[in-house]
Amino acid sequence: MELLAQVLVGGVLLGGLYALMALGLALVWGVLNIVNLSHGALIMLGAYATYYLFTGTGLDPFAALPITAIVLFVIGWLIQRGILNLVIRGPMFNTLLITFGIEVILTYLAQLLFSADFRAINPPYAGNNFRVLGITIPLMQVLAFAIAIGLTVAMWLFLLHTRVGRGIRAASQNLVAARLYGVNPRSIYALTFGIGSALAGVAGGLYGTVSQINPYIGGPLTAKSFAIAIIGGLENPLGVIVGGLVLGIVESLTALYAGSTYRDVASFGVLILVLILRPTGLLGRTT
Amino acid sequence: MADALLETRALTAGYGEMQVLRDISLAVQPAEIVAIVGSNGAGKTTLLRAISRLIPCGGEVTFDGKSVSHATADEVFGSGLVQVPEGRQLFDRMSVEENLRMGAYRRGDRRAIDDDLDRMYTLFPRLSDRRRQLAGSMSGGEQQMCAMARALMARPRLMMVDEMSLGLAPVIVDQLLETMTAIRKEGVTVLLVEQDVHAALSVADRGYVMETGEIVREGSARELESDPEVQRAYLGEV
Repeated sequence: MELLAQVLVGGVLLGGLYALMALGLALVWGVLNIVNLSHGALIMLGAYATYYLFTGTGLDPFAALPITAIVLFVIGWLIQRGILNLVIRGPMFNTLLITFGIEVILTYLAQLLFSADFRAINPPYAGNNFRVLGITIPLMQVLAFAIAIGLTVAMWLFLLHTRVGRGIRAASQNLVAARLYGVNPRSIYALTFGIGSALAGVAGGLYGTVSQINPYIGGPLTAKSFAIAIIGGLENPLGVIVGGLVLGIVESLTALYAGSTYRDVASFGVLILVLILRPTGLLGRTT
Repeated sequence: MADALLETRALTAGYGEMQVLRDISLAVQPAEIVAIVGSNGAGKTTLLRAISRLIPCGGEVTFDGKSVSHATADEVFGSGLVQVPEGRQLFDRMSVEENLRMGAYRRGDRRAIDDDLDRMYTLFPRLSDRRRQLAGSMSGGEQQMCAMARALMARPRLMMVDEMSLGLAPVIVDQLLETMTAIRKEGVTVLLVEQDVHAALSVADRGYVMETGEIVREGSARELESDPEVQRAYLGEV
């Protein structure tokens, strides 16, 4: 019983981080209608940015996250303005191919620059735990969870209650009307892709504090983000929290009962099930 | 006429290879209500899309003395030339109030925006009851009110209304036309595009008749209403 509780808590904490990973992908998908296959590579870059800020300057990894976010925002903004904008009206197949190409390029650039070695972001307090009701909770995972959920909720509030947030939602709901009412699609798209990349970057930094990183972590993380976005739906940013928690818990339970080799089998099994049963996502496209 | 608020000269536009508009020249004076009437497929909606710069066009469009021929859609909107598009095109999954706030997207004056929201709820009391409702879930008439209120939230100098009457009960159409007269009294110029020739000419000062992408007649609303050709073609009288 205690083991099950321990595993469930671990799943929930992981799920929060998954939610933040998927948020940027879902946002870009909903507004630009692009499934960004390079999303995981951006998460990977965010992890390395945080790692080098931490090891290079001694900055606390959590304090480094805002800088990581800015760096990734700029990278995302440039990718959208320089590359994706050229195919924005093209068929979805083109944007899939191009973002896949970007993923490959970023992955191998990272291998060249950072080497294929495993790295971990280990501040002095990384080993701290605390115990609640007999369950051991690692401090780093709690911090990552809290920041991830906090950012996701903040993003939801931003989209709901600010002028720019409304403009982003307007562009995703009705592009013609948005253009007629003063929304410039070029700048909204670049901004949205920048925000999506910044969120990926922060998620990557947090991932690096709870797990090891290497240049190849991007691919599987893109796939998981995709699964979560499908489960949660694209319309409501809080949907990714549901999707993330579902995936986190399913993965942890699978690791407990079937062995950790089957982790990914379970998470993509969930994806396939959701696509069959509820093709619009569990939460649908509602606000 | 040099003091026209909106003027097009030899405007041409179309979709890809297909040319829809040929040589459209018209002028709208400040505080006028001008109607553009014609049957389905005459190119009226295309004309508004070209003026709003949603589609590329040739020829010259000037608004308030400045050329907007090479502006983008959001710049045209920013200059005060605001369109209420055909089919309303509301943001369906936003509340009524959010739709109205989208009309003020380019404005920064928070307090004045809140004042204007109250004005809209006075002008359209039906919307006041539904401010939290999703725009897509309302009736056609309420959606049209919401679309007009959204346009007015931009504080337009000229409001172009495309096929306002489409699919609405005559009672609602009359109500909206009355509102339009009230709006004009506040100094907003209105360019009305309508298939319902009778309704449009009943509130307009002047009108243009379009047929297959060209303007075939123009004159005061009274002249057009009594024009035998217009009566025969559009008003169903002999």
